[in-house]
Amino acid sequence: MNVVRGERNDHQINLFLCGRIDSTNAAEADAEIKSITEGAEKLPVLIDAEKLEYISSAGLRVLLRLRKTNEKIHIINVNPEIYEIFDMTGFTQMMTIDRAYRTVSIEGCEVIGRGANGTIYRIDHDNVVKVYNNADALEEIQHEREVARLALILGIPTAISYDVVRVGDSYGSVFELLDAKSFSKIIATEPERLDWCVEEYVDMLKKIHGTLVPEGDLPDMKGTALGWVHFMKDYLPAEAWQKLWDMVDEIPHDDHMLHGDYHTKNLELVNDEVILIDMDTLAVGHPVFELASMFNAFIGYSEYDHNTVKEFQGFDFETATDFWNKVLRSYLGTDDENAVRQIEDKARIIGYTRMIRRSIRRKGLETEDGRAEIDLWTGELLELLDRTDSLFFASSEILVDAEVGNLQKIIGFVESKLDEYDCTVKTAMRICVAVEEIFTNIAKYAYPGEEGVALIRVEAADGGKAVKITFTDRGHPYDPLTVKDPDVTLSAEDRAIGGLGLFMVKKTMDSIEYEYKDGKNILTITKEL
Amino acid sequence: MVINKDIQDKVMTLKLTGRLDTTTSPDLEQELNASLDGIGELNFDFSELEYISSAGLRVLLAAQKRMNTQGAMSISGVNDTIADIFEITGFSDILTIK
Repeated sequence: MNVVRGERNDHQINLFLCGRIDSTNAAEADAEIKSITEGAEKLPVLIDAEKLEYISSAGLRVLLRLRKTNEKIHIINVNPEIYEIFDMTGFTQMMTIDRAYRTVSIEGCEVIGRGANGTIYRIDHDNVVKVYNNADALEEIQHEREVARLALILGIPTAISYDVVRVGDSYGSVFELLDAKSFSKIIATEPERLDWCVEEYVDMLKKIHGTLVPEGDLPDMKGTALGWVHFMKDYLPAEAWQKLWDMVDEIPHDDHMLHGDYHTKNLELVNDEVILIDMDTLAVGHPVFELASMFNAFIGYSEYDHNTVKEFQGFDFETATDFWNKVLRSYLGTDDENAVRQIEDKARIIGYTRMIRRSIRRKGLETEDGRAEIDLWTGELLELLDRTDSLFFASSEILVDAEVGNLQKIIGFVESKLDEYDCTVKTAMRICVAVEEIFTNIAKYAYPGEEGVALIRVEAADGGKAVKITFTDRGHPYDPLTVKDPDVTLSAEDRAIGGLGLFMVKKTMDSIEYEYKDGKNILTITKEL
Repeated sequence: MVINKDIQDKVMTLKLTGRLDTTTSPDLEQELNASLDGIGELNFDFSELEYISSAGLRVLLAAQKRMNTQGAMSISGVNDTIADIFEITGFSDILTIK
């Protein structure tokens, strides 16, 4: 059998490589290729390497000679071993080379997650595959891989796919996910763990929203949302539409991370670790956009037909409502019903806009149920637009892993909050020193030998005349106020190293209080502005 | 934080720019360990230093102890925030502040 077969038309040359190409037959292959390409120099060449078993350097030189006459070469169906040869020799940079994809069957596999762009199946004990809705999904897969890697580097626990496979007519990406259980499944099957789920779910959410993304690495959610609003122009009264546009437009730019599809099927418990999946919707922007998609997932899509959430998440509408309310309170760090509802209103405005557009685009106006649902959402949206004047809200908390490396993140957050309060530079510096001392203590001592988180909350106190900062950790009970003050009158030689940090906090802040409550160390400092 | 080092004979001047805190103090400690041998006079220029936390104080204390045995140490250009911290912690009695 010939190692090279070929055919050509006016636009392209097709070559098929077969078996082994090495020094024993390279000259033969070279002559065969020349006879096929002769007189058709400059035509693009598509090489199918499905049956190619091996290629030596003599074989590679044949391809290099071909490249001199026909510059555009695309090699497809390359098996992993040969791909590695192409990669090591730099050929992957000189020509387009696509791997052969192994085929995976999802017949009878359990669905463990479902997102906007695909469905996740468990294919065996250790592995899952995300099958994309879009048949030509290679670019999407590449995108998701890149953003997942970015998120992981920025400190968000996630799974990164290690292989791309063919699944029927579509593509899938394969992840290792051992014994994973989604939060939806936990809520549906172990209702007694709902509060635990709320806590972990909110921790992860705050971690995402506290993550600063290098400019340009992720799309801006506001641009996407303005696109939704633009679509709505024909479906809302002019005045209401203008107000909606202005309010979305006025949301300030924010470089913090958003997940974009943060519901309980996208959070997995793997052994004892919580992992975020389905990363292709990752973006940057103000948290109101995230709350909007969360509202939709738990409440919005099920407002007309309460069964929707049951079908999608596996738990009922009542549980979803309970979960959403608890999450919102915990995320905002307040039990003040009025404050919670005001921010929920902002999220709902964006949420309804998105759902109405989506439904109309999916021909919702052509069915009776679709029209009733769109009418219901539009009615809510108009009422909310009437009583809301801004979609912005300022987050007063940041949650980070209790590690010294996160100090800059904390200080940056506190400084941005102090800017809001018109704090003098001198007071701001003193507060920053105090925040550093307390956070460093938590990072070093709260979780000896294990990992944990710290929550920092900044708020106005004493009617705006002071600022109050609260540090919460779930580490060992430890009251720093019991530590004896150092003797600051001793000479350099007699001075012990240590104990100074907290002493400085006590001296520079107006008050410092400690409390151990519900398994949490809570330290509060206040400082007059 | 940026450290600018200038050595003239046995006199070393370190100009610090930025913040001397938990994350940056190890850099200063390393610099001192690497270059203090044979130095008789150590001068810190703090005119571009914004603030200092206890981690920074520890490094200064260690430097002061070492310079007590091999020469002299002084700090100049201290701003109000840092002067306050030196005052509160008693460091103003230990250090020579110009």
